[in-house]
Amino acid sequence: MTISEERETGGEHDSSPGTHDQSALLRVAIRVRDANILKVTALAFVVGLAFGALLIILTTPTLLRSWGGLFSHPGGTIALNAKTIWGDYELLFCGGVFDPRAVWAAIQHSNDANWTNALGPLSSTLTYATPLILAGLGLAVGFRTNLFDIGGQGQLIGGALGATYVGFTVHGSAVALVALEILAGMAGGLLIAAIPAVLKAITGAHEVITTMMMNYVTLSLLGYLVLHTPFARPGQLQGESKSIVPAGQLPKLFGWISSSLQVNAGFIIALVAVVAVAWFLNRSTLGFELQMVGANPDAARTAGVSSRRVIIIALCIAGALVGLAGMAQVSGIDVYLSPGYGGTIGFDAIVVALLGRNKPLGVLFAALLFGALDSGGHYMQIYSSTNIDYSLALVIQAVIVFCVATPALMVALFRLRASATMQAALASGGWAK
Amino acid sequence: MPPMKLELRGITKRFGSLVANRDVNLTIEPGEIHCLLGENGAGKSTLMNVLFGMVSMNEGEVLVNDKLVVIKDPKDAVANGIGMVHQHFMLVPVFTVAENVVLGAEPVRPWPFLDRVGAAREIQEVSRRYGLDVDPHAVVENLPIGMQQRVEILKALDRDVEVLILDEPTAVLTPQEAEALFEIMRSLTAQGKSIVFITHKLKEVLAIADRITVMRLGEVVATTTPQETTESALAALMVGRAVNLLVDKAPATPHDVVLAVDDVYVDDDRGLTSVKGLSLSVRAGEILAIAGVQGNGQTELVEALTGLRSVTRGSISIRGRDVANRSVRSVLDAGVGHVPEDRQRNGLVLSMSVDDNLVLDLQHDSRFSRFGMRNLRAIHENGSRRLEEFDIRAAASSVLVSTLSGGNQQKVVVARELSRDLHLLICSQPTRGLDVGSIEYVHREIVRNRDAGVAVLVISSELDEVTALADRIAVMFGGRLMGIVPPTTSREQLGLMMAGSDHGLAAAGVAG
Repeated sequence: MTISEERETGGEHDSSPGTHDQSALLRVAIRVRDANILKVTALAFVVGLAFGALLIILTTPTLLRSWGGLFSHPGGTIALNAKTIWGDYELLFCGGVFDPRAVWAAIQHSNDANWTNALGPLSSTLTYATPLILAGLGLAVGFRTNLFDIGGQGQLIGGALGATYVGFTVHGSAVALVALEILAGMAGGLLIAAIPAVLKAITGAHEVITTMMMNYVTLSLLGYLVLHTPFARPGQLQGESKSIVPAGQLPKLFGWISSSLQVNAGFIIALVAVVAVAWFLNRSTLGFELQMVGANPDAARTAGVSSRRVIIIALCIAGALVGLAGMAQVSGIDVYLSPGYGGTIGFDAIVVALLGRNKPLGVLFAALLFGALDSGGHYMQIYSSTNIDYSLALVIQAVIVFCVATPALMVALFRLRASATMQAALASGGWAK
Repeated sequence: MPPMKLELRGITKRFGSLVANRDVNLTIEPGEIHCLLGENGAGKSTLMNVLFGMVSMNEGEVLVNDKLVVIKDPKDAVANGIGMVHQHFMLVPVFTVAENVVLGAEPVRPWPFLDRVGAAREIQEVSRRYGLDVDPHAVVENLPIGMQQRVEILKALDRDVEVLILDEPTAVLTPQEAEALFEIMRSLTAQGKSIVFITHKLKEVLAIADRITVMRLGEVVATTTPQETTESALAALMVGRAVNLLVDKAPATPHDVVLAVDDVYVDDDRGLTSVKGLSLSVRAGEILAIAGVQGNGQTELVEALTGLRSVTRGSISIRGRDVANRSVRSVLDAGVGHVPEDRQRNGLVLSMSVDDNLVLDLQHDSRFSRFGMRNLRAIHENGSRRLEEFDIRAAASSVLVSTLSGGNQQKVVVARELSRDLHLLICSQPTRGLDVGSIEYVHREIVRNRDAGVAVLVISSELDEVTALADRIAVMFGGRLMGIVPPTTSREQLGLMMAGSDHGLAAAGVAG
């Protein structure tokens, strides 16, 4: 359908007399469209699990062999496969969300050990999700401004460096120390992001290249710092930083039950950040300007918005949030830095932002889903009877993202009844954006 | 292929519950120019997209020479002798004319090598036959719009179509280019081809059509001929009520100078000087209209005035304050409203709501934000009020602005700019692509602001608009001012000036 035709029918819609019907129609169209986003994501999850099931069958010799007997005893074959796959996915759920038996045991016999078992999976999921939420939020701010910041890894390291430095040099009360680490973490991430930001604003250098290069720079910088003063812990040949003093470590939320429940105040920081970013994007004039520049830079310029200023601000906010993720990770979990710190969090956050459609709440849920799959995957690897690997969780994550990124494929795959609503949306021209 | 008769019977097309075409009957006789006239949103383009196989119809049939045909996609349409030139050209900019024309039906000899020489020869032959003068070796992106359009027409002719649909072909053309297009259309029909000419410009219809079909709200309301009708009768048919084609306005009462431009030079994107020493002034309470063929420096001048482009020499002052090379923001804050030339590119953020678009450049206004926080309630109230005040047709002010028709989108831009605290209003092509009803409305608003003491600068390539609105007309050619003449100057004289001829100026009785 061409643009001119959309406009044509849009006009039709305007000039016909039944204004009341149209608004109702439009409301329905908008609601169905929103529901479709959830629907597509849910179906993507189903496809991910189906793909995972296939992988379980292909990598488990007993299952693979069982298909040879499909015709002699079909019932047994199906039952065996279903039972194994169900068993693995049950473990995935138990390790990612909660194990009903453990929860029941904790309720019946309330003691610290039982509660540790019951809360373990959830704690682990939230722990995995925390840096993903923060970094995902940061990158989403960039994406909303149409800045494809893929320097999450470097900015996360920058934040972790800042927080760690404060954590082992400053002494003071826990509250003051953590507050200072938060500031230092944000400043660290911001500094790493500020270089590509200024380059982009002044010279037009593309942020994809510069942020990616900053990843290498920061990674090497980290490798250097952990071997030299003031960061290095003496006597470590592989390189390791000094540890954040106990007062500077983020308190564990369920530390009074068991020290093995890792979830800490970092998750609270992440929740606060979700609210703050949502407020910023929807309610502040600056957030509005960011989105103007992101959606139509020409119109933003004509309306008197300085895109240079907005680019710098957006990338700095993104860097600060990703830096905060690094701070939460090091102050909450790892306590010290080693070469290659942060792993793939900075890249996973890109995918989380994509899955969450660059909306703060979306990022939160996407990060929780990824956290649950991470946590459940590890649990599954330990307890599975079929030697299934943790990588299965990563495959499921990847397939979900793949499906979400190609909604047309999902519509075709599941023959979603999008035709009527899509036509209405097309007639009003409002589907595409 | 012999001349052919094309008939549409009972075409109905629905989008959801919206009916874009309702039981439309239309016959195109061999060798005629059939004008399809209607406001934006009347269903003209939808009908033609159905005919060309871009959109499937719900009911109805298409007959070629009284035989039923099925058209599922554009390929079927072309096979049945129907060709279409879209409003937005579908050309590959970096390809040559010949490559573009043969694209999709490339002559390969020997297989699989493209026969460039043969293709060029074939195109030269076709263009000679129909009087379309195009160099087959020219690269499309270097050609002016009028030439690109000829390439589109050639593309259709090269595939032996008998019926050619032209979707608003003159919307992008200068008057001269439009006249050249009409020549081509006449030579095509002289050789038996028929043409469906979609437009909402009444003058063109009367000048070129053999028959006219008027559509309104998806239905055919009349079929007539230029001899049987008049401009105002057609306008009334299109809009459904009598329309005032002239702008009602009292003589201007100019006050102090608001905008003073003195010896300004501006470079374009390629670094070439496109405004060369231009001086003019606009007083409060008057409308100065700049006439000129597009591409004679008007765009760059407006960008310089609004702070979007830097000035290499000269001064621009608004109410005595120098604003040359200042930020857009400081120009806007000086009390300037700017309706940009390209509303979708510069005037709107299509993925945002009407509410948000109505405050795009007013977000720091104390009415809509405080301490960096947006006042969502005030923004929404403002949206609802403007919707009513400016008669913007939208389901609600919270819907996306992209769901509005072109005319209503333009009203959103105009409404926003007029809600600023204005001293100077700069309108570029304020009614481009608008239907008669919306044009009338926008013109009235511009005059109302003039009468309220705002200095108004209108830049338009539509001579009708210039003469209707202006208190004084400035004609630009080649980056210079040809002169400033009264609105009573004849079209011929203005046309000569727009073409850069000093005779026009002399005839208008004004010294340089």
